[in-house]
Amino acid sequence: MSGVLGRSVETITGALRALFAAEQLATADGFLQRRDPRVSLCAITALALGVVLTRTLGVALCFAALTAGLARLSAVPLRRLLARSAVVPLVSALVVLPQAILLPGDALVRLFGVTVTEAGVAYVLLFTVRVGVGVALLSLLVLTTPFSALVAALRELRVPVPLVWVVAVTYRYLFLFFDELQRLVLARNSRTTGETGLRDGWRDARRIAGTFVLRTLDRGERVGRGMRARGGSRPPSPYGRSRRVGVADYALLALAAVAVVVSGVIRWTP
Amino acid sequence: MDTVIDARGLTHAYPDGTTAISDVDLTIERGERVAVVGANGSGKSTLQLALGGLVAPTAGEVTYFGETTDAEAVRERLGVLLQDPNDYLFNTTVREDIEYGPAQLGLPRERAERRVASLADELGLTDLLDRPPFRLSGGEKQRAAVASVLAFDPDVLLLDEPFGAVDAHYRARIRDLVRDHDGTVVVFTPSLDAVPEIAERVLVVDRDGSIAADASARAVLTDGDLLADVGLRPPTTVRVFAGLLDDSDVPLTVPEARERLRDAL
Ligand SMILES: Nc1ncnc2c1ncn2[C@@H]1O[C@H](COP(=O)(O)OP(=O)(O)OP(=O)(O)O)[C@@H](O)[C@H]1O
Ligand SMILES: [Mg+2]
Repeated sequence: MSGVLGRSVETITGALRALFAAEQLATADGFLQRRDPRVSLCAITALALGVVLTRTLGVALCFAALTAGLARLSAVPLRRLLARSAVVPLVSALVVLPQAILLPGDALVRLFGVTVTEAGVAYVLLFTVRVGVGVALLSLLVLTTPFSALVAALRELRVPVPLVWVVAVTYRYLFLFFDELQRLVLARNSRTTGETGLRDGWRDARRIAGTFVLRTLDRGERVGRGMRARGGSRPPSPYGRSRRVGVADYALLALAAVAVVVSGVIRWTP
Repeated sequence: MDTVIDARGLTHAYPDGTTAISDVDLTIERGERVAVVGANGSGKSTLQLALGGLVAPTAGEVTYFGETTDAEAVRERLGVLLQDPNDYLFNTTVREDIEYGPAQLGLPRERAERRVASLADELGLTDLLDRPPFRLSGGEKQRAAVASVLAFDPDVLLLDEPFGAVDAHYRARIRDLVRDHDGTVVVFTPSLDAVPEIAERVLVVDRDGSIAADASARAVLTDGDLLADVGLRPPTTVRVFAGLLDDSDVPLTVPEARERLRDAL
């Protein structure tokens, strides 16, 4: 699978894998790194909820600025954060793109006989920014807190065990899923030479998709054994990383609470 | 002696019909050092998974510590290391992976942290602890996997190719860790060179997944015909001295061989 298709698959898998990959930033010194994992978890989840709730582009952009500020304070380079969280909103933008034409409203431009409406563009823009900021917030959380500390925090917050289980397992499997995809693409690229046309590319892609499903299932089974061998069939119970909850922790929680309330008020006041 | 693992009529066929192990009877006593050898595809890994309670046998059963047939009930006492470290390391950092077993199996945190630190030091992982496991080299992954199984200090080690892809330096470190383990050790491997250094007893798996021999390391490793039948070759030292010395006299390890040569020269 070389050529255009191969390269784009490689880019997308690389980016998605990066989204789920832990980085050393979790141990770097910064604002979020120094927070109690339970506090980061609650505050950031609340912020993500707040941005997803909003129907106003201005509010969504404020959340974006807040996210950028938190990243800055936590020594997370903005470019890194963008690279990690750009794929999901771009893909979802593609999905909602038809709305730019379908939504009725004042015409913005006419292209090839179709009318792009102002309301449509605003909708697509708002949707993309919301998804983007939501994903960026979650990436920020994962970048600044070790995953096992997050799982431990979920347990300490008395989230029901089955739910923690789902979170822990899903995260790990998504991670493996992209790892497997990356390996498959690499293996294919190392065995195909020269540029192939788009048509061959598609045929190849279909065959790979079949192999991929089988391999992922098989890998899932084997990794499941690896987990069970070390007590994976018992409820997730990583060592906690709680710290003393201090002024900065309360400040972060308050900030998140205010942001969510303001977002809610703006949305629901007529 | 206490029996730690007792398998009766153990058989496993994969869903596609491949019978990987058939009708295996074996008993492992506390403190034994056993190597399970066999050609590629003979069924060593399947036997390991079945003994570790990670695949359900299609027939037969395994009794653990003379008390239960449920492996989950004794999980903290069984150290099953899978052949492929990519299946064994699934956490986001090496540290989390090494801590995973101890945390899940209820080891106190301070003890686990001390163990992680000493194993990391021993296996050269200290600088890799905060890296994601999938970004490690093959040998580094293998070392991290070995550390992950030793971390919760199980009574019985069932190790599938613990030396895979590891360089000579760390191979010796892993060998020493395995040798110093005060419990029972079963190592599954297709390469016989390392066997005399870690095992006194050797089980030979035939190509059809049955047990072809179960004897002392010396008896098996010097039996060229038996090994040829199952698709293996004696260790290098044995091949060098075969025919020159009696089987009972043939050196099995390099230090023994050196001793022999010094006497002769
Ligand atoms: N998931 C599976 N589905 C079907 N057949 C399998 C599966 N895994 C292994 N086998 C088959 O079962 C047999 C035994 O495999 P196993 O992995 O136990 O061999 P092994 O002795 O460990 O080999 P190696 O030295 O290469 O690790 C082989 O014929 C193999 O092809
Ligand atoms: Mg094997």
